[in-house]
Amino acid sequence: MNEQIILSVQNLTMHFGGLVAVGDMSFDLQKGDLLSIIGPNGAGKTTLFNLLTGQLQPTSGEVVFRGEDISALAPQERAQIGFGRTFQISKTLTSLTALENAMVGAFLHRRSLAEASEYAMEILDMVGLAHRADVKAGILTLSERRRLEIARALALDCSVLLLDEVMAGLNQKEVESVIELVRKLHADGLTVLVIEHNLKVVRAFENRVIVMDFGQLIADGTPEEVLSDPDVMEAYLGRKSA
Amino acid sequence: MLSFLNIVIVGLLLGGIYGLVSMGLNLIFGVIRIVNFSQGELVMLGMYGAYLSWFFLGLDPYLSSIIVVPLLFLLGVVLQRFILQPLQNEPFMQIFATFGLLMFFQNLVLAITGGTGYSVRSAASSAVITMGEINVSLPRLIVLIAVIVVALGLNWFVTHTMPGKAVRAVTQDRRSARLMGINVELAFMLTFGAGAALAGLAGVMLAPIYTLSPQIGGNFILAAFAVVVLGGLGSVWGAFFGGFIIGLVEAFAGYYFDPALKHAIWFLIFIIVLIVRPGGLFGIAGAEEMGLREQD
Amino acid sequence: MSKIDQQEAGAPAAPGRSSPHVTRLRTELGRIAAIAAVFGAAITFWQGDPFILNIMAYTFLFGALASSWNIIGGFGGQFSLGHGVFFAIGGYTTANLYFHWQISPWLSLIPAMILAMLVAVLVSWPTFRLKGPFFAIATLALNEVALVLANYFDTLTGGPRGMMLPFNAGLANMVFTSRLPYAVLMLGFLIVCLVVGAMVLRSRLGYYLQAVHIDEDAARAAGIDVLRVKLSGMAVSAALTGIGGSLFAMYLRFVDPPTLLSIQDIGVKFLLIALIGGVGTLYGPLAGALLIIPLEFHLRATLGGMLPGANLLILGALLVIFSLFMRRGVVGAGQALWARYRRTKNE
Repeated sequence: MNEQIILSVQNLTMHFGGLVAVGDMSFDLQKGDLLSIIGPNGAGKTTLFNLLTGQLQPTSGEVVFRGEDISALAPQERAQIGFGRTFQISKTLTSLTALENAMVGAFLHRRSLAEASEYAMEILDMVGLAHRADVKAGILTLSERRRLEIARALALDCSVLLLDEVMAGLNQKEVESVIELVRKLHADGLTVLVIEHNLKVVRAFENRVIVMDFGQLIADGTPEEVLSDPDVMEAYLGRKSA
Repeated sequence: MLSFLNIVIVGLLLGGIYGLVSMGLNLIFGVIRIVNFSQGELVMLGMYGAYLSWFFLGLDPYLSSIIVVPLLFLLGVVLQRFILQPLQNEPFMQIFATFGLLMFFQNLVLAITGGTGYSVRSAASSAVITMGEINVSLPRLIVLIAVIVVALGLNWFVTHTMPGKAVRAVTQDRRSARLMGINVELAFMLTFGAGAALAGLAGVMLAPIYTLSPQIGGNFILAAFAVVVLGGLGSVWGAFFGGFIIGLVEAFAGYYFDPALKHAIWFLIFIIVLIVRPGGLFGIAGAEEMGLREQD
Repeated sequence: MSKIDQQEAGAPAAPGRSSPHVTRLRTELGRIAAIAAVFGAAITFWQGDPFILNIMAYTFLFGALASSWNIIGGFGGQFSLGHGVFFAIGGYTTANLYFHWQISPWLSLIPAMILAMLVAVLVSWPTFRLKGPFFAIATLALNEVALVLANYFDTLTGGPRGMMLPFNAGLANMVFTSRLPYAVLMLGFLIVCLVVGAMVLRSRLGYYLQAVHIDEDAARAAGIDVLRVKLSGMAVSAALTGIGGSLFAMYLRFVDPPTLLSIQDIGVKFLLIALIGGVGTLYGPLAGALLIIPLEFHLRATLGGMLPGANLLILGALLVIFSLFMRRGVVGAGQALWARYRRTKNE
């Protein structure tokens, strides 16, 4: 087994009744990679994401993390071994302050209030929310809440960051600033997996892209390769314009 | 053999009572997704309504339903409009508010009556029907018939009438129902009113059977919770059969164990069902509240 | 510019304070010490008035109990209506040990606490699968089961007639001839509950409980074992409630099922007090007790004779009114007013 492979998806399959939401997907994620998974609505991206985070248990196949099968682990157990995630519909802890939100993550590996709050503050600074530390999460803007979710994941000292449509609902300027943040985190050595609907975003990362359609992997390569693939154009854009 | 049959009859008659008091609670939960802790007190108010009509107007308790049921309907509409509607998205505050109503109604009646127990006489009160060796008191038989009629009627209403279909639409998908032009708030007000009216009807039917006390609602509310949880929250037939299950369990437990423990036994069954099959034996309505449904 | 934004957004943190802020345990302990001093002075001032001392003892006791409930109910968002069960376990444990074996109530606080905690964990393990109103119904049913069992197993509880505890005055027996030591005792218990509450709130467990309360999925994503956190909060809460039951039994020197397990007078009273004061805040439950308990005494004294249940009638109405208009209780309303005052002052 290649030591550089941090996360490996092997023949992952998920059936809902007769519907095959994810069918026999396999791919590897290298340490330090920035991988984007795209696909049209209903392609099975969210199901795949939930299989990775432990929200769902696969019908068959495995999710292997650092050489160990973790398919049966619950979401919190995956967080404990190094998975950080965001939610498509942002789930910040609205009645706590931004700092306290990040602290909830920081407490995973830090027992004391002082350590957790200090570390949480560093993380908030990293994602550009330090000036909003005392503000309740419920009154942050959408893009700030997205950053806060990333902060909470980072505070877990995660080794893989999974972002679920983290750009959805943001305007152009906000999208650019989140892209910049993700690039920065990736440049600092973090392994990132992005699930996105938005094609522009994927192009912006200039890294490896996987395209899904009807629960299958239909293309895997650089954005240029993938976006010039006729199957992808048909599956993705063909239906989108219809 | 005879005693066995007797226990079954006692259990079925009890089941009729429990089923009847659960119908309103179940309707309200099924449609509005509110757990109304004060439902037992609405039954209690129905019983006192029957008493008042009997005392002042000389109405037979069964006849008094023509006054009591509409009044409780109105009360239900008012409660929904002014108390529960503002708390629509606040499940915790709904618990507080409906429990506050429970305390309010119960102690209001206690303060007015001073805690004196009343009983209501009907022409049917002491009538007993004898079938072979088995005696059945007429008021209890009337309750049994009433619960069958109510269950059939409710079922017909939601499957065959336009307002009933509107209610089902609201139950299944509030937002889409609103888009289809259904006035959801009005539907909720009418539903809560109907639930309260059913509680009033149950109260009227039970008035000749029980001695009236302000605390009597407490005997019904937990039974009703047990019934609807057992039967499946929001399902008409679930509440119907759930009532009989609880009634039979109580009758047998009372006979074979100890009458003093019968409540503990069905409470335990209730808690076990709540935990093992939170959706009840007849459906999974309400599953999303309990987090059973997979989130997408 | 960004400073103005913050104010516009209604930032609760005072503008002008530069460093972000998390309240430390030390700060809370200072506040609790101040509360202890004020109440201690009140006891000294009214030491000759048994009527007032009685009200104070009840206020401190129920403030403490509501604070205990608040640990799982307020911080953790698990609306238990069954805390009467843990209260009764404490009461009956101490009563039995004192009645049959003359064991000092001071000692029996320990088994009372442990037993309440054990039962709480055992019954909560399955019931924590239920959410919101269903958890409330299950705990309500549990309280009713306990009531039936307490009436039935009369060798342990004295049944419906209850147990009268012998009057052997002395510090070791926790039985006093005057009300003064009881008021001091209940104040001590209140301080213990506030300190434990502060230790929970200003620690990892407190933040985890709040996270679980607000969003279980988000909590799991942060690596939180939701069930374990709920059980930890419940264990602490039930242990304190058990101690409260022991103290209550010794104060009344009488226990029977309605005294310990009445749903309206005990189980729901805890959350009612917490709601009126401010659910989920550290000092809200105490504020609620300061309002509710003297009010109840007053109502019982003035209306009780003519209108039985008048106190509960008014509490029921308050419950509805607070859930409609002041769902964050008097403490929450106070905080909102304070924030508004700070904002207008800064404009």
